[in-house]
Amino acid sequence: MPRGNITPSLLLFATLVSALSVLAIFGFLLWFAAPVFTGETLSSLLSWQWRPQQGEFGILPMLAGSLCLAGSAMLLAYPLGLGLCCFMHGLGPTWAARPLLGIVRGMTSVPTVVYGLVSAFLLIPLIRAGFSGSGFSWLAAGLTLAMLILPTIVLILDSQFRTIHAQTQLTAAALGFTPAQQVLRLTLPLSTRGLLVAAALGFGRAIGDTLIPLMLAGNAPLLPHSPLDPLRTLTSHIALVVATDSQSAAYGSLFACGVILFMVSLLVNLALRRLRHE
Amino acid sequence: MDHRTDALNPAAIRIRHLSVSFANRPVLRDLSLDIPAGGLTFLLGRSGSGKTTLLRAINRLNECLPGCATCGQIELQLGATRLDAYAPSTPVEELRRRAGMVFQSPNVLPLSIARNLSLPLAVTLGLGAAECEARTEQALREVHLWNEVKNRLGAPAATLSGGQQQRLCLARTLALRPDILLLDEPTASLDFKAARQIEELLAELKLRYTLLVVSHSLSQAHRLADQVFVLHDGQRIEALPESTFRDKEALMSALDELV
Repeated sequence: MPRGNITPSLLLFATLVSALSVLAIFGFLLWFAAPVFTGETLSSLLSWQWRPQQGEFGILPMLAGSLCLAGSAMLLAYPLGLGLCCFMHGLGPTWAARPLLGIVRGMTSVPTVVYGLVSAFLLIPLIRAGFSGSGFSWLAAGLTLAMLILPTIVLILDSQFRTIHAQTQLTAAALGFTPAQQVLRLTLPLSTRGLLVAAALGFGRAIGDTLIPLMLAGNAPLLPHSPLDPLRTLTSHIALVVATDSQSAAYGSLFACGVILFMVSLLVNLALRRLRHE
Repeated sequence: MDHRTDALNPAAIRIRHLSVSFANRPVLRDLSLDIPAGGLTFLLGRSGSGKTTLLRAINRLNECLPGCATCGQIELQLGATRLDAYAPSTPVEELRRRAGMVFQSPNVLPLSIARNLSLPLAVTLGLGAAECEARTEQALREVHLWNEVKNRLGAPAATLSGGQQQRLCLARTLALRPDILLLDEPTASLDFKAARQIEELLAELKLRYTLLVVSHSLSQAHRLADQVFVLHDGQRIEALPESTFRDKEALMSALDELV
């Protein structure tokens, strides 16, 4: 059979398998979470108390923990990533751009557990010495998670900046723009879509990460009141309960956590699709 | 061969021993040339002979391309100032603004029609909104585009036709009030009618600016040129006498011999 005929069929098959897998995961989650979303269990689920021994399975502290941690990591990583891209594309010296991008690309190949381990041995003692408590906190996890999502943000923005730069560089230079003016007055304002995509994917990566909060955030199922307080995210909650339990009603509540995480991911993707179309 | 003006009539562009290479591959070798002030100078030559590189050496735009190395000297008469283009103290952005360039393909910025003109004015000259608006209208009138776009200045520049886009690019350069205009095959990507409009503009502009035009069009050179130079393989540049480029047949046979 000619190669040209089989390729579209294979691609269609791969697309269908991927789409059906995602749908199957969502269906599976909904099927198992359905009993939890009914009657008294739902009100127990939407509470601030996680005391499985007393039959209280509130996951709101974990939902708040996820949003707090992902939000704070984004607050740190996004401006840093944006600044880094502007530095590489005109604000800084030309010679610095390649090594900086090389470092950022290198960061993507570092396993998450290594970030967690290094922070546990270097950052946690610093926080413990500088403030009080155990050091395992929202602050430690937030700082480390920011480092983890930084390459995602930088590489998306870099790709967008490169595209715009290639289209406008010679024109802008011929009109008398300095490299700094090019990036700040032309490339950046024309990169709106890339800025939004980087924010959406960076947030998705931050809210979906498990190891960093599990290793560094302290895992107390409580609403944090300061960056030095411990917190527990939905992902680390799932990991912790699955590791110790597989039969109880608490185990059932994990499917609700999964559905919420899936919905967040889905919303991020739908927002991305909308942005692409605009 | 050198083509030099006399001391009483200083050249608008004075090029001495210019060599340009990209990734160690020489494109221009030891060129010397004087472009007189005022009027329209055509630079003809085969594809790949280095015409665009020569043009971009004048406003140092080659430096934006990777692996470029330039040596030699280029002096420009910009208003009352004599500027050594490659002196370390030369403000390259000011040089590029005052030796304005129009590219072969219309290179509108992905912005609105008005913003294509007002953004460079605001960014490079620091002009306020009112001044930008006034210069925008003036420049668009200068290229006879105002009546066609005055009711849709907020529309994307990409919605204009190719000829209109090229005139917009010319207006954008003129709005910055340059002393010299460098045009790289400004009609190459346009149809006959749009090309003719640009030619008419060039005929008007040559009365007020020093124009250096890279072109493949012999008929354009025949109709419009005040001086014609022919570049051979980046190494040799010949001036054609007026009697030759005013006579179409003579121009064609001269080019056949030279190129």
